Amino acid sequence: MRHYEIVFLVHPDQSEQVNAMVDRYRTMITNNGGRIHRQEDWGRRQLAFPIAKVHKAHYVLLNIECDAPTLNELTSAFRFNDAVLRHLVVKCDDAVTEPSLMARAKDEHDERESERRSRHQAAAATDEAGTDEAAAPAAQTAEDAA
Amino acid sequence: MRPSKPKPRGGGSRHFRRRRFCKFTAEGVTEIDYKDLNTLKANIAENGKIVPSRISGTKVRYQRQLAIAIKRARFLALIPYSDSH
Repeated sequence: MRHYEIVFLVHPDQSEQVNAMVDRYRTMITNNGGRIHRQEDWGRRQLAFPIAKVHKAHYVLLNIECDAPTLNELTSAFRFNDAVLRHLVVKCDDAVTEPSLMARAKDEHDERESERRSRHQAAAATDEAGTDEAAAPAAQTAEDAA
Repeated sequence: MRPSKPKPRGGGSRHFRRRRFCKFTAEGVTEIDYKDLNTLKANIAENGKIVPSRISGTKVRYQRQLAIAIKRARFLALIPYSDSH
């Protein structure tokens, strides 16, 4: 049994089927006595250059441990699946389980995004308060004038 | 045979260059990952070419790893092959 790292790109139109596809591959691996050490979904990413006339693709990363026939089966499954634009298989020395840099970057991005959103909401709230305060002196001056 | 003239070497007193150093050696990197886009992007030129080690000062061992990592990342369309895509 060897360790492999697999990345494959799925056509963005078939993005919803990614989970079903990954499940199929998982069962294919585990039924043949293999193991999955890491599974990541990088989501839909912008491609650096168009592939098959699409500019975005859904990336999936798998770190698995399996034997050669299983890997052959898996790669042929990738090849005959029209939704898979590209796949890369890299041989590894041992199992990798900690989240990859890509997943970490995505998490940070999401965090920043949510932080930005919450800050935006907070800013909106203070803005409202500010306008209230601004309105109060105006009312006072109006009273003074009267 | 033509007597070979001594070539003017780079550096010297006229062109002072800051001493290059290998970033990967300095940081004690064990393996350059093709998923580490920030590192890879720091080592490709604006047109997408791999920066030669004679420019960047990267040690041979790491330059080899870097080349493989960049080529893998290019295959996955994480970084461009060229600027004319």
